[in-house]
Formats: sequence, structure tokens, C-alpha cells
Amino acid sequence: MTRAEQLAALRADVDALAHADEATVLAALPQWDSLAILLVVSHFEHVHEIEITGAQVRACRTVGDILNLIPSLS
Amino acid sequence: MHSSLSNIRLAGLAVTTGSVVRDFIADGLAVGVDRAALERTAKTIGLRERRVAAAGITALDLCADATERLLSEMGLDATSIDAVIFVTQTPDHAQPNNASLLHGRLGLSKSAPAYDLAMGCSGWVTGLHQAALLCAHGGAARVLLCAGDTLSRLTNPGDRSTDPLFGDAGSATLVEKTGRSAPLHFVLGADGSGAEAIMVKQGGARQPTGPLTERTDAEGNRTHDANLVMNGADVFSFTLREVPGAIESVMRHAGYVPATTDTLVLHQANRFILSTLAKKTGFTEAQTPMSVVEHFGNQSSTSIPCALIHCLGDRLEAGPLKVVGCGFGVGLSWGAFAGEIGPLTIAPILSLPR
Repeated sequence: MTRAEQLAALRADVDALAHADEATVLAALPQWDSLAILLVVSHFEHVHEIEITGAQVRACRTVGDILNLIPSLS
Repeated sequence: MHSSLSNIRLAGLAVTTGSVVRDFIADGLAVGVDRAALERTAKTIGLRERRVAAAGITALDLCADATERLLSEMGLDATSIDAVIFVTQTPDHAQPNNASLLHGRLGLSKSAPAYDLAMGCSGWVTGLHQAALLCAHGGAARVLLCAGDTLSRLTNPGDRSTDPLFGDAGSATLVEKTGRSAPLHFVLGADGSGAEAIMVKQGGARQPTGPLTERTDAEGNRTHDANLVMNGADVFSFTLREVPGAIESVMRHAGYVPATTDTLVLHQANRFILSTLAKKTGFTEAQTPMSVVEHFGNQSSTSIPCALIHCLGDRLEAGPLKVVGCGFGVGLSWGAFAGEIGPLTIAPILSLPR
């Protein structure tokens, strides 16, 4: 998958990110909460088969930072 | 750890819930949460309403009620019970344990030992293993397993990430020695390195009762050290990491595959986790009961017996069913089981007080 495809897949799974781009600051999103973090963890598990922690997601500032958690793209 | 125990059977099940119905959307609106955000969470997690204990009602009361109704349904006298195991993390007192208090309340025989297991959502399976051990190898003919909690008392109403999840309930399970040879298989495990993912810091010997300072996290959730605090994302990661393997392992020991197994009964944490686990282990959603949490909330160690009654009661009374199950949670810990359950006696799910 290209990085653009990864972003599209993430946006499809996590409704809080539905209209976000790579530069979007997570804290500025009204729906960026513990449920959204859980959905990101789930997305990584079933799409990328990568186990990430909630702390890793909370440490991300932008959507691009989330994509950087995928080893092949970072 | 794997263990297979023969010549035992589940003879009866009963669950008593708290009587106070709490509505997820109404509660959220009352504390100023946006309706769209509540509906989004309700849909994803599967929250609708839950039942919590009325003031003065404890897990001991709920389990005692379930036990009395089950014994009555089965026409048994309490003195026929050879041991009582009580799974709880919300006992009436620091000492004595709940099992001893229940022993006295029911008038059990002095030859019947009584002990607690301080476990949460995985506790019913561990308790079932203990009860089965006592019947298979310990000289008991009938063991009472009670599992119950009142976790709603430990959460902070200002913690919207945890408080809306939990319901209060207690269960009674009777396990009996039998001539039947088909074994019940267990796989039990723990990962203490993740112990702080679900925690109530205050109230034990390390951090006794004292002044409480409320703190607010980045999302505005308020908690203090006497509250149950849960890192939901980390618990979810743990669940995906450990539970599918435990289920696959216990199914290997039982010689089960999803296509010929009647049901996968999981700890009813929330619909999102259950749906993910069903998918990962090869079970269909139709095989996997998920509706307990939307009617009763996450009931800790009572959720598996509640799912067995609420979703499979009629089929288990007629039984047997090939059942695979798994509890998982605080510790972090897990317990999976596989085997034939039923026919057994079921007392209906009722609330206390009625």
C-alpha cells in the first residue's frame, strides 16, 4: 500500500479521522478521544497486523505521526 | 497452564443483577456530553443500559440471592455443598472473606472450606477450574462457585471513559462430581507486567485509605486513587495479543474447531472487543453471544454465566452444547475453557431487591 492508501484505510476505520489529512493535528479534532485511540489500535491490528499501544497513539501529534508507526512507511 | 479435568459437570447456573437501570445516553447528556458523541460510542461499543446495585446491596447479597434461588430450583439443601469459592474484587470487608460470610449466611456444613479468589473478568473461569479440581481430585461431590462484583461503586462519575461501562451482578454456579468421562479443558494465564492497565490504587496495604486528590486527564476524565482506572487501549491490545491464542490452545486440547463448536462465550467486555475476537478466532457473530453488555453492562466475573443464561439458557437446559469460553481482564489475566455443558438447571436472571 502507498502512503496515500494507508491514509485512506485509516480514515475509513477511524471516524474521528474521516476528513483528516497528514498534517491534521489530532488534538484539534473534536472526536479525538479514547474511543478514537482504541479504533486506531484496532486498525493497526487488523490492517497491518502490528500491535501498538495506546501510549504510542497518544504520543502522536498529527495524523502523519500515526502513519509513521507503520514500520515499512517510516 | 493447561489442565483437563474429567468426571465433573456444571449442574446449575443463576445470576442476580443490581436493580437500578442506568441509561447510557441519558446519563451522558446529564453531565453535558454531546449527543452525537454519545451515539457514536453507543454504536461502536454496544452500550445502551446497565444495571447497578442499589444502595446497601453488595456482591455478597447478589451472589447469596442467586445461590438461594438456584438451590431452590434444584431442590437442594445448602448442607449438600462441600466447598464454596467466591470470586470477587469488591468483598464486603477486608476480613473475613466473602466465602466465609456466605458460608455462615447459608448455613453450610463445617466440613465445607470457604475461600475467595481476588479476580475480576477472568475469575469465573479460574473459579470453575478450582471447583472442578475439588470435584475431580479433592473429594468434593458438589462445589458452589460464586462470582460477583459491584464495580460501579469504584468508578468516578466524572470518568466518561470507564464509568458508563460497568454493571453490578452476582452469580452462582454449581459444579458436581459425576461418572461422566468427557473432560473440561482449561488454559489459564497471566501477564503481571501489565498490571497497572486496570487498577484501584488505594484501599490495600500499600496505599491505605487516605485523602483523595482528583485529577483530570487530557480528555477531561476525572479520577482519584480510590477509583477503578482503566487504560482501555492497552487493555484492548492485551486482549488481542493473548486471548485468541488461549482460545486456540484450549480448542486444540478439546479437539474442537469453530465449525463444529456450538458457541464461543466470552467475557462480555463490549461489543467491539467481542466482534474483533470472534473474527480473529474464526467464529461467526451468530456463534458468539454479545448482547449482555447492552442490557446489563460489563459485569466483571459474572458476565460469562450471565451470557450463558441470557443468550443460551434454553439450549443449555436441553443440552449438551459444545462450548468454548474465555474470560480476560484485570491482572492482567485470562482463562479459557472448552467442553460440553448441559443439560443443566438454570434459575432466571432477576434483580435484587425485587
